[in-house]
Amino acid sequence: MAELIQFVTTGITVGMVYALIALGFVLIWKSSGVANLALGQLVLISSWFTYGMLVQVGLPVWLGFPLVILFAMGLGWITERFALRPLIGQPILSLITVTLGIAFFIQGAVSFIWPKSVAALPRLFPEEPIHIGTAVVSQEYFWAAVISLALFGALSLFFKYHKMGIAMRAVADDQMAVQACGIPVTKIFSQSWMFACVLAAVGGILMSSIGGITFGLVETGLKAFSVVILGGLDSFLGAIVAGPIIGLAENLGGGYLTPLTWPGIREVIPFIIIIIVMCIRPYGLFGERRIERI
Amino acid sequence: MLKLSNVEVAYSNVIQVLHGVSLSVEDGSIVTLLGANGAGKSTTLKAISGLLRTEEGEVTDGSIDWNGKRIDNKSAEEIGKLGIIQALEGRRVFEHLNTEENLLVGAYNRSDRPAVRQDLAMVYQYFPRLKELRHNTAGYLSGGEQQMLVISRAIMASPKLLMLDEPSLGLAPMLVEEIYDIILRFNTEHKTSVLLVEQNVRVALGIAHYGYIMENGRVVLDGSADFLRNNEDVREFYIGLSATGTKKSYREVKHYKRRKRWL
Repeated sequence: MAELIQFVTTGITVGMVYALIALGFVLIWKSSGVANLALGQLVLISSWFTYGMLVQVGLPVWLGFPLVILFAMGLGWITERFALRPLIGQPILSLITVTLGIAFFIQGAVSFIWPKSVAALPRLFPEEPIHIGTAVVSQEYFWAAVISLALFGALSLFFKYHKMGIAMRAVADDQMAVQACGIPVTKIFSQSWMFACVLAAVGGILMSSIGGITFGLVETGLKAFSVVILGGLDSFLGAIVAGPIIGLAENLGGGYLTPLTWPGIREVIPFIIIIIVMCIRPYGLFGERRIERI
Repeated sequence: MLKLSNVEVAYSNVIQVLHGVSLSVEDGSIVTLLGANGAGKSTTLKAISGLLRTEEGEVTDGSIDWNGKRIDNKSAEEIGKLGIIQALEGRRVFEHLNTEENLLVGAYNRSDRPAVRQDLAMVYQYFPRLKELRHNTAGYLSGGEQQMLVISRAIMASPKLLMLDEPSLGLAPMLVEEIYDIILRFNTEHKTSVLLVEQNVRVALGIAHYGYIMENGRVVLDGSADFLRNNEDVREFYIGLSATGTKKSYREVKHYKRRKRWL
């Protein structure tokens, strides 16, 4: 029983972090229709940058984190401004391919600047674990869930009530009509990339405070993809629901099936889910079906 | 005042669509641009609003002036900030947003919140139907309601020049009357200039002060609304009345008898 609760809590909290990173994907997809394939690499580079700031430079946390957020915003701005904006008006496939190029570029830059393969962030949360019933949850997991939920809440308020958020959703529906209202669409694109990179950075910090900085962070990006596909490419709610589902499936499946089957099955489970979902509901659990008036 | 002088537009540097179009819109007046499909009416609007660029179009010659300053090299958002707002053809609402959110996107560039609130109330007064539907998803509104929404969204930007692209397209005659009444009312109450593209010549000349008729990318005839209404060519070819003013009978139609004099 304790084992079950352990798997469930771990699964849900890790799933929340996946959901957070997935939100960044949904944001870019919704506003510009571009699938950002560099998701995992963005998580990777911001985690390493955090390591650089906190460990190598030795900055305190209160100074280091704002710098990481600034770095992520800058990264998003540069990516949009110099890699994607020149391609506006080109076929969407070219834009998606460019994000793949960015992914490899970042990966190369990371192994050039930080040749180590593994590193650990300093302890961010108290060591004392939290007891929930019979299960023991370490503080990292607990705070990961709390921070993810808080950010999700803030973002959904932003999209519902802030005029920039509403405009971002409008761009998803009809770019040209947004331009006709005199709204700078390019500014909205760069804003959504900045948002997405910040989410990836926060996700990266949370993940690496749990499991250290490894190359496995790129896989976190891949799992965020499966979250997005399960929840629906254009649905924020979908991401936040599908995240814990993927996390649960991964941890429960991994926990109970590994002794029966083969090691590493937990890594495969999210992708099995993708395939099943694509067969049954190609637009995901909460994806918008196109409104067609007849 | 808006003034176009000998504007030429080409798409992809190859396909020339406008051949030296000149027209002007006086402050506070309603000017209509009439013509058949493919005459270049929408292209003219897009040349003014700067939306040509997203379609690989370009003003290759001539100039567009707004209150004495050239705007033909400005981007769509700069032109929008000057107060030139276009409502696109074909009821392009933001489908997944609700009615009120659509209207707020129209007011994006305005920072004076009380004034935006006031305009929202004004728009709801113009179209009470939209107030009833303000929390409904725009994609599920009826055609007439969507057209009301598109016009209202443009009004929410507090335009100095409102450009409407075929607001009567595909609507029932009663709705067309209603929408045109509101356009006229908005123009008289706010002294906003309106540039109206239409195929429905009768209703457009009903509210316009001045009109231009386009064919094949050229302005072929222009004049006051009264002049155009009484012009024999316009009556024959665009309104469907014979020279005597009676409704045309297709039994007696003789195509060889009249030719457009401007050709």
